[in-house]
Amino acid sequence: MTRFLALPSRTRLAEALSSRRRQVAAALLGLGALALIALSLGSGEPDPVGGPTVLRRLTETQYRATIADVFAPDIPVNARFEKPVRYEGLVAIGTGTSGMSPFAMEQYDTAAQGIAAAVLSAKRRKDFLPCLPANAKAFHEECAREFLSDVGLMLFRRPLSATEVSRYVGLARRTQEQLGNFYTGLELSLYTMLVSPEFLFRIEQAKPGADDGTGELDAYSKAARLSYFLTNSTPDRELLRAAGEGELDSRWGLSRQVDRLMASDRFEGAVEAFFADMLQFDRFDELSKDPAIYPAFNSDVIADAQEQTLRTIVNHLVTEDADYRDLFTTRETFLTRPLGVIYRTPVPTRGDWEHVVFANDANRAGIQSHVSFLALHSHPGRSSPTLRGYAVRQVFLCQHVPDPPANVDFSAVEENAHQKNSTARDRLVMHSTEPSCAGCHKVMDPLGLTMEQYDGVGTFRTRENGAFIDTSGSLDGTDFNTTAGLAQALRNHPETPRCVAERMFKAAVGRDITWGERAYLDWLDEQFADDGYRVPELMRRIALSRNFFAVSGGDDARGKPQVVTGRTSEPGDKS
Amino acid sequence: MGAVRNYRKTLAIGAGVTMAAAIVVGVFALSPSGPATAETGSFLRDGKAGFIVTRIAYALGPDASESGACTDGMSKDVSQIFALTPEGQQRPGEDEGVYSKRLEDGGERISASADGKNYCMHPELAPPDTHFRTLDSLSVRADGIDIDGIDSRGRPGTPRHLADFAGKNGAKGVDNQFFRAVGCSRSFQSDGQSNSFEIGMYSGSWGVVLSLDDVDDLENDDDVEVGIYANADPIQLSPTREALEYATYAMDQDENFRATTRGRIRGGVLTTDPVDIRLRSDVNALTLERPLRDARIQATLSKDGVLKGYLAGYAPVEQLYDYQFAFRNAKDVSGKPAPLGRIIHSSNGAARVLGYTCQGVYQALHRLADAHPDPRTGKFTAISTQYAFEARPAFVVDVDTKSVNEKLVRND
Repeated sequence: MTRFLALPSRTRLAEALSSRRRQVAAALLGLGALALIALSLGSGEPDPVGGPTVLRRLTETQYRATIADVFAPDIPVNARFEKPVRYEGLVAIGTGTSGMSPFAMEQYDTAAQGIAAAVLSAKRRKDFLPCLPANAKAFHEECAREFLSDVGLMLFRRPLSATEVSRYVGLARRTQEQLGNFYTGLELSLYTMLVSPEFLFRIEQAKPGADDGTGELDAYSKAARLSYFLTNSTPDRELLRAAGEGELDSRWGLSRQVDRLMASDRFEGAVEAFFADMLQFDRFDELSKDPAIYPAFNSDVIADAQEQTLRTIVNHLVTEDADYRDLFTTRETFLTRPLGVIYRTPVPTRGDWEHVVFANDANRAGIQSHVSFLALHSHPGRSSPTLRGYAVRQVFLCQHVPDPPANVDFSAVEENAHQKNSTARDRLVMHSTEPSCAGCHKVMDPLGLTMEQYDGVGTFRTRENGAFIDTSGSLDGTDFNTTAGLAQALRNHPETPRCVAERMFKAAVGRDITWGERAYLDWLDEQFADDGYRVPELMRRIALSRNFFAVSGGDDARGKPQVVTGRTSEPGDKS
Repeated sequence: MGAVRNYRKTLAIGAGVTMAAAIVVGVFALSPSGPATAETGSFLRDGKAGFIVTRIAYALGPDASESGACTDGMSKDVSQIFALTPEGQQRPGEDEGVYSKRLEDGGERISASADGKNYCMHPELAPPDTHFRTLDSLSVRADGIDIDGIDSRGRPGTPRHLADFAGKNGAKGVDNQFFRAVGCSRSFQSDGQSNSFEIGMYSGSWGVVLSLDDVDDLENDDDVEVGIYANADPIQLSPTREALEYATYAMDQDENFRATTRGRIRGGVLTTDPVDIRLRSDVNALTLERPLRDARIQATLSKDGVLKGYLAGYAPVEQLYDYQFAFRNAKDVSGKPAPLGRIIHSSNGAARVLGYTCQGVYQALHRLADAHPDPRTGKFTAISTQYAFEARPAFVVDVDTKSVNEKLVRND
């Protein structure tokens, strides 16, 4: 954990010292300042390059968390959010690239009505209003102004301008005049805020840049980026205060806020949100399995499987502050009874989670052996070495595998799916013999074939269709013939930590990296290694780095990032 | 893990080291706050296996319509009996609805003694039911096994009504007097409702779990330990309502509902020594107990862990009458005696709908009882009763388990 020395107050020192000693003190202060600069520059962080400012739509979890934090957890959000768009492997980037459909607007409208009605209801308004005028038939200007200014600050993540305040107060007044109720007027103004782009989108604003064109976010945009990165929710009052008083522009002030946010209960939620995004858990909403083949795979399993992996990740990375790479070999996890059926392991606790460590010979090492990964990257009625191999490459190693040719013939695979004494390796032999297939499949299948010891929902098996499963496989030069061997190879792969560091930064800034940021990512990768691959420390470094808030000038600043990876494809129909 | 109280040695889990042993002896003992060890593998792990009973029904025999064994017809309910009396005849011009109501009222009248005591509650006060039919044929083959090792059929001195059945596939000496008692009752035919008591099991009201321990060889093992327990957790089902394999279930914490015995496996067939067991049952939210004395299992164990066969023993007649027909000792969900009104309505309603009289079946059970003679009177007090069952792999653990809706159920 990085610690910065606090300098003594310059005034108090001056009063205490004689003039001669003042010279010494001045020299010391000068040295101290130099040391501080050296400390800052000595981190080796490349000069900030930055990218464009981003307009990012709140994700569903962010929306719900924001409403809970601004008002209360029991304020209902009655809406069905549309499927998020994933870009560059992350919804966190997709939120800055997608538009808004009429359906989404309808849902925001419904949610806003419900939230405003609940907040201003006779039962709850006392919890949120600074005043409670008894005469609801009259308009109370001061009360309305105070409430709408404050709630506007929290919802828009910045203070409202005088014009904005007047507009919302005026709307409340006109509503009160027409409908005869003060609280109904406030309700309509609150509703209007909740459907405003200023609330639904995080609209980043940049300060003017230096001569080279590189600038940085303004204080409130910094607060929002920081808060959603470290808590997956809206800035709290303390963070907004710090932003308003310019504290986020100083290393010390920023560090203080980062420490505070990372120490909060909400930090775990941010880690969960990032990994749920990286692991593509939003795809569970569309996942289905054939109940005749996988009778134990039900809605409880779907929910618990995701939570199992997220609990494992938070426990490993945050609670135990352990090496990220060991996520791919850890046997420690959490189970419920519905999951126990799939894992074929006893779970004595009913209706709750059980903290367990899989036995050495249980063939469960790493989160890639979890149901959440194995079931998600399989077909409805069978496993898929290709989908799993593809997912390992794409999700954990940030590697790109092209989509299959448009004229690919899947029938040969389907026809033999359940033949006696047939395994996936037998069926997929054409992947290595057909030149048009082999190019891509040779990087996916060898990985996935080792994972064939798990069926389409993740239950361990040694046979398929009566034949023993050959589990030999390889990953970029490392051969193995067990799932434990695969786990170790994945853990030791140099791209494994680099991938998560890169994804973490992309998620934090909500965009793909620019050419100029490649050096920063190299530095981040080195720091991650030096920190023992501790993810909280990685997040702290990102949050404290000058690159985190940097905004590029020129075309970039107008929203045209220079994409360096070209990884635009998403999981397609690969068998 | 706070709920983990204890794990029995007979627990079925883990290859190499069982969950039970791992938790109690290993990880749990060494590191009380650490996570438990989770094992995976086949259904037999370290010589232990657990099972959830997924199908269970009385082992009976062919339907009367198929065997032709009920030559005097089927048993009758009180309305049918009343209809045979002069008073029960339909009067000229009498509306069907009115007549039907009169039959119901008449049936109800003959269901009680002159001083108003209901015969389902007091069957000993009732006169003999001459309309109750039992299966006295010797030619019918019954399901089940030879419990006592004696084939009484044709044995000198054996009354016809106590003669053992011949079984399927040449089996001899099948002790199944319960089949004899109910074989001519319509609700115990294959399409009847009385033998579908497992509906309650599938709704989670009750269940049965089994355990095997000390198993060295699934095909042949001279000495294994077998546990038979009431299940304290609801059975886990697939979306198509098939029981799931490898779910975890807790055995009942009441010692009355836990039994262990020794057994042996020969040629893949598990046979156990007799042991008194007690299972749970329910009817119309009436909680009941289902005891079976000298119970033993004879079942085939397949390689994938399906145990299929018979659970056979002797049901104490008075208690059999209560859990299956009259519910006199039923309790409500909180364990208190159930309301008498619900008991009377349930027992009389069942008899009326299912086609017998309470006193008829009570008298038949006593007449056909074949075991455990009363030391004072010499009269048999228990009747051979067999269940056909199928059990599938499960994890049986010994923990105090509670529904997440426990408070809701008990109105706390």
